[in-house]
Amino acid sequence: MDDERPLDPEAGAAIVEAQRARVEASTAVDPRVLFGAWGLAWLLGFGLLWAAALDEPLVPVDLGVALAVFFALLAAAGVVTAVHIATRSRGVRGMSARQGALYGWGWFLGFAVVGALAHALRRAGASEDVVSLVMMATSVLLVGALYMAGGALWDSISQWALGAVITVSTVVALVVGLPHAYLVMSLGGGGAMLVAAGVEALRRRRARGH
Amino acid sequence: MGEELLDPLIHTQARLRIMTTLTSLPRGDRLTFPRLQALVEASAGNLSTHLRRLEEAGYVEVVKGHQGRVPSTQVGVTDAGRRAFDDYLARLRALLTASATAGPDGATGTDDSQEN
Repeated sequence: MDDERPLDPEAGAAIVEAQRARVEASTAVDPRVLFGAWGLAWLLGFGLLWAAALDEPLVPVDLGVALAVFFALLAAAGVVTAVHIATRSRGVRGMSARQGALYGWGWFLGFAVVGALAHALRRAGASEDVVSLVMMATSVLLVGALYMAGGALWDSISQWALGAVITVSTVVALVVGLPHAYLVMSLGGGGAMLVAAGVEALRRRRARGH
Repeated sequence: MGEELLDPLIHTQARLRIMTTLTSLPRGDRLTFPRLQALVEASAGNLSTHLRRLEEAGYVEVVKGHQGRVPSTQVGVTDAGRRAFDDYLARLRALLTASATAGPDGATGTDDSQEN
């Protein structure tokens, strides 16, 4: 790049626009990726649990296998999230990076409690039904609450709304009870996240169109 | 016409890219030297030269620190740098609107008299 040559204003404006787009695309966390990964994991994972937990299962899958698939999907979404954030924040230091890292550790520690709770409930003699119900409710409670907190902190209405939809879905799911609670979470949680990813994709296409 | 001059410290391809990159980050964030280098596609020597000039003007701050035992240099824009960049953008926009309405008048607003 050479350099001391004077630019004309059009060239200057073009450089600013191109460079901004480039920085945004390579350093900003993309909500489409995160909502997409978690939305898919929930839609399929909870969907499979529901299909397997019915009195007359829609799919010939053992409930234990469905649960394993569910956790594998969540783990996959977690890996996608971690890799995406690590790639985008590489070389970025300072306030927002620290903020993001602290928030990320909040998620991790919160889910550690959910896992430990399941273990403790089993040890205390809770039935598998109770354990599934508590695991589902606490993990979804955590996700909904953290989305709402994140939305409040980063002044993102869409993130807050997603957290609120997930939390309301959780209430509905608990009132409905198993097995249909799984379907409620599949659609109300996973579906809502995929809608959020779609809305974001649309917003970006519209912004580019101008 | 003097007030329409574009800040010569910013108005070059390389430094405009650097300033755009740093001001695109959330306030209070810095980039490590290698990441900045990748984003503006400059050689290390070239980038250092431009950063020195921007640092002398008080537009950026270069913080030398350590990441564990490895030395790590971080670059961020200062408040003065953000103001200068906003100013630059406002003038750029004014120039573009003026040339769009009044037709070409040949004024590019570049002034390298500050060269040192």
